[in-house]
Amino acid sequence: MESSLELTTSLPGTYPPLLRSRIFKIIVIGDSGVGKTCLTYRFCAGKFPDKTEATIGVDFREKVIEINGEKIKVQLWDTAGQERFRKSMVQHYYRNVHAVVFVYDVTNAASFRSLPAWIEECRQHSLGQEVPRILVGNKCDLQHALQVGTELAQKFADSHSMPLFETSAKNPDDNDHVEAIFMTVAHKLKSQKPLMLSQPPGGGGAPPLGKSEEEEEGGWSCNC
Amino acid sequence: MYLKKSKRVGASSPLNGIGKQDWDSRRKRKMGEISQALGVTPVDVAALRRMAISEGGLLTDEMRCRVWPKLLNMNTDNLPDKPAADLRENHKDYHQVLLDVRRSLRRFPPGMPDDQREGLQEELTDIILHVLDRNPQLHYYQGYHDIVVTFLLVLGERLATVLVEKLSTHHLRDFMDPTMDNTKHILNYLMPIIERVNPEVHDFMQQAEVGTIFALSWLITWFGHVLSDFRHVVRLYDFFLACHPLMPIYFAAVIVLHREEEVLDCECDMASVHHLLSQIPQDLPYETLISRAGDLFVQFPPSELAREAAQQNSQQTAASTFKDFELASAQQKPDSVLRRRRKERAETQAQAQAQAQAQAQAMVVARPRAKRLIRLAVMGLTVALGAAALAVVNTALEWAPKLDLQFFP
Repeated sequence: MESSLELTTSLPGTYPPLLRSRIFKIIVIGDSGVGKTCLTYRFCAGKFPDKTEATIGVDFREKVIEINGEKIKVQLWDTAGQERFRKSMVQHYYRNVHAVVFVYDVTNAASFRSLPAWIEECRQHSLGQEVPRILVGNKCDLQHALQVGTELAQKFADSHSMPLFETSAKNPDDNDHVEAIFMTVAHKLKSQKPLMLSQPPGGGGAPPLGKSEEEEEGGWSCNC
Repeated sequence: MYLKKSKRVGASSPLNGIGKQDWDSRRKRKMGEISQALGVTPVDVAALRRMAISEGGLLTDEMRCRVWPKLLNMNTDNLPDKPAADLRENHKDYHQVLLDVRRSLRRFPPGMPDDQREGLQEELTDIILHVLDRNPQLHYYQGYHDIVVTFLLVLGERLATVLVEKLSTHHLRDFMDPTMDNTKHILNYLMPIIERVNPEVHDFMQQAEVGTIFALSWLITWFGHVLSDFRHVVRLYDFFLACHPLMPIYFAAVIVLHREEEVLDCECDMASVHHLLSQIPQDLPYETLISRAGDLFVQFPPSELAREAAQQNSQQTAASTFKDFELASAQQKPDSVLRRRRKERAETQAQAQAQAQAQAQAMVVARPRAKRLIRLAVMGLTVALGAAALAVVNTALEWAPKLDLQFFP
C-alpha cells in the first residue's frame, strides 16, 4: 500500500493517467509552542487560528494547490513538540515524507538551539539527503522580543543546505508569505519529480525522489 | 445489523430529549440511590460504581464532588492546604506546563470572564506542578493538563489536587513514565478489540496503515482534549473513574466501530483514515457507547487481548518483535509489594474474573473472523463491571495493563 498515498483514486491501476492527482506529504517539526499548528492552519485555511491548543500526537491538514495546471494535494502532518512524543509516537509519520519543514520561534532562542536535535531526529528516521528541508523562523511580527537574528539563522541554514524563511503566521500581511513558503516547497517537489510513479514497496524510509537533475527554475530561489 | 440498530437506540435515549418525564423520575430515583449509597457506613462503593457507569452517570457536579473521591477510595476529610506557589518556576516541566495551560482556553466554559479564567489557569498550573513536585517518578505529558482542568472545574482546587495526585499514580500512571512506551502498549489494545467485533473494519484499517495515533489524545486525556461539550467529558469521567484503567481504550474502539460505515467508505490510505477518525463527531450517542464499551470489556477482557496487544508492533516492524516480547515479559513481573497484595487478594480476584469470564464465554459463540458483539443486560453489565473494578482496585490500578499477562500466562 506504499503507493496509495500517491493517488487519490482508491483503485490504483484502473485510473486514466490524466485523472491522477499527486500528493506531497510534508512533515512539520520543531519545539513546542513555536507555531507549527498556526503555520499549517494558516496555509490550509488561509487564516490565523482563533485558539490553538497543544498538539497531542499528530494532526493532519491538507490543501489542494495548482501548479502549472496540475492539481496537487499538499498534506501537512503537524506534530507534537514535546520531546516524549517524538520517540515512540511520531515515527510512523516520517514514513514516505517528501519534505520536512523545521520550525523555530525567532523570539525563543531555545527553540533555535534545539534545531540540531530535530535534524538528528530526521536522520535517525533515515530520511535521505534528497528529501527537501526548509527552515522557518516564525513569529516575526514580535520584533521587540527578537532573540534569534536573521544572520545567525541564515548561517545555520546554509551550513545545513536549507533555505531559510522568516515569517509570521499571525500577521495578516504575511498571509501570502506563509502560502509562498509552502508553495516553494511544492514547486521544488514538482520539479524533483516530473513524473511520480509508484514507489518501491516495503521501504521503511523515504522513497527515492526524482533522479533527474534539479531544474533551476523550480529550485530554492525565493523572492521573499 | 447491530451497530445500525443501536444508533437508533442512542438517538431515542431519554437523555436526548425524548421520554423526558420518564427520565426525570428515573433521575430523581437515581439521585436518591446515590445519596443512600453515600449515606451508609462504610460507603457503598460498589453501588456508587454502578451508578457512575449506568445511564446518566453521576448526574450533577455536586454529586461528582462527593462520589469521585469514593471511586478512588479516598478519604477527603482532611484536605491539605493550598499548595505553595514557590515551587513553580524551579520545576523542570514548568515552561511546558505554562505553555500548555496558557493555550487551554477552549477547556473553559464559553462566556467565562477573562479574569476568572485566568485565575483558574493559575490554579491549574499550581495543581500540575504540585503533583509533579511531590512525585518525581511522574513525568508531565501534553494532554495531562486537559485531564487536570476537568477535575479543577468540577471539584475546585483543593479537592482536585488530591484526586489528581491519586489518579496520576493509578489510572494515569502509565502515561507518566519517562517514555511513552507503555502508552503505546495500551494503544496496541485498540486493533485487537476492533478485530473481535468487526474484522472488516480492522482489516481495512490495517491495510491503510493508519496506526493508532489518531486515538492517542483520546486515551491520554480521557477524551477531554477532543470533546467540546463539558457535560460529555464529565459523563465519561464518571464511567472511567468507576472502571478498569484500560476502559478508555475500549471506549476508543467503540467510537471507531460506531463509525464503521464512514471508515469503510473512506479512501484506504493513512491520511484519509487518520483524518476521518481524528475528527471526533460531537453528537455521539454517549450512553449507548458507554454501555457497549462495558459489554466489550466483559466479553473481551484485557487478559484475552494482552498477548495480541504485545504482538501488535511485530506486525509492523519485524525487527522490534523480540524487543516487544521482552517488554511484555518484563511487564509481567510485579514488585514484591504487589506480589504480596496479589496473594492476599487472589481469591477475590479469581472469583470476579471467573465470573466475568464465564459470563462472557456463556454468551459468546466462538466464531473467529465473524462479527460478534453480544449485548449484556444493563444491570448484569454494571454489576459485573462494578465487581471487577472493585476487585482490581488495589492491584490493577497500580500496574495495569501488565496485570492481565500475569494472571493469564
